[in-house]
Amino acid sequence: MEPREEQEREGGVKTRPDDAWVTIVWNDPVNLMSYVTQVFQRHFGLSRAEAEHKMREVHELGKSILSSGGREKVEVDVQAMHGYGLWATMQRSGE
Amino acid sequence: MKGFEAKGGYAVAELDEEERAVVARIVADVGLLLGGAAFGMEHTTRDDGERYQDDVFAALRGLEDALAEPEDPAVLRLLPNAAPTDREVADEFRRLTETDLRGHKVARLRQMWEQLSGDEDEWVIARDDALPTAAALTDVRLVLASRLELRTDDDAERLHAEIDAATSADDGSVAPNIDRERVWLGMLYQALTWLQETLVEYVALGDGDRHE
Repeated sequence: MEPREEQEREGGVKTRPDDAWVTIVWNDPVNLMSYVTQVFQRHFGLSRAEAEHKMREVHELGKSILSSGGREKVEVDVQAMHGYGLWATMQRSGE
Repeated sequence: MKGFEAKGGYAVAELDEEERAVVARIVADVGLLLGGAAFGMEHTTRDDGERYQDDVFAALRGLEDALAEPEDPAVLRLLPNAAPTDREVADEFRRLTETDLRGHKVARLRQMWEQLSGDEDEWVIARDDALPTAAALTDVRLVLASRLELRTDDDAERLHAEIDAATSADDGSVAPNIDRERVWLGMLYQALTWLQETLVEYVALGDGDRHE
């Protein structure tokens, strides 16, 4: 569950304007499964079933990708997750 | 303590005076950790000018701290690194968002503190405030979890077992070889977890077409 454990390869890849970014939510021992599901529904507009599926990915696999897009959009999503107390990070997709 | 239940369009829990005082205290502590003014030390009636001043000072404080990652692990958990493998992205994110996030979290905690500082046993939350209040409870639980060094799901399981062992004596006393402060914090953590669970259940009820 610790993002630090997953050391991504830091290549010399140049940032391009069309680089797609992703929002990753990580598992933590504090947040309730029911709460995480509600947050995913509320912020990402997911159905209950979709939100529960994503929540289970976070809980069982340690992380899940919740959104993708331009850097600014992903920054908004990560900030919202931090607002809810979820542990979210952003990175270029494919890294 | 009674968990949240739907009552007349609101979520209502019951906490006696001592329970309210304990929860209000930890809520105020988390507000302080986040750099908010001490709750209860402001004037009781505040006009917009005072609020504006508070906002300005908060923003200035935010600017000073903008690029520094919080040293306290509990604060770092509330304002986490958004890109652990990319310093430039992480710094930029912190510069753009940290002041807002701090202000947002402190305002939510302050509202919760005010609700808990009245004389009523009933803690009444409007539907629209239910999820934000659950989020504020998460912030408090995150700080407690950091102090209790709960880093994994297994750590959390162990804490529950420790508390069970510490409080299973027939006379209700805490066993002598136990870290009393840890058990006390752990029990507070459990109580807030349970309160949050009942509040999230209330939020989930409003999901579908169900009306009270």
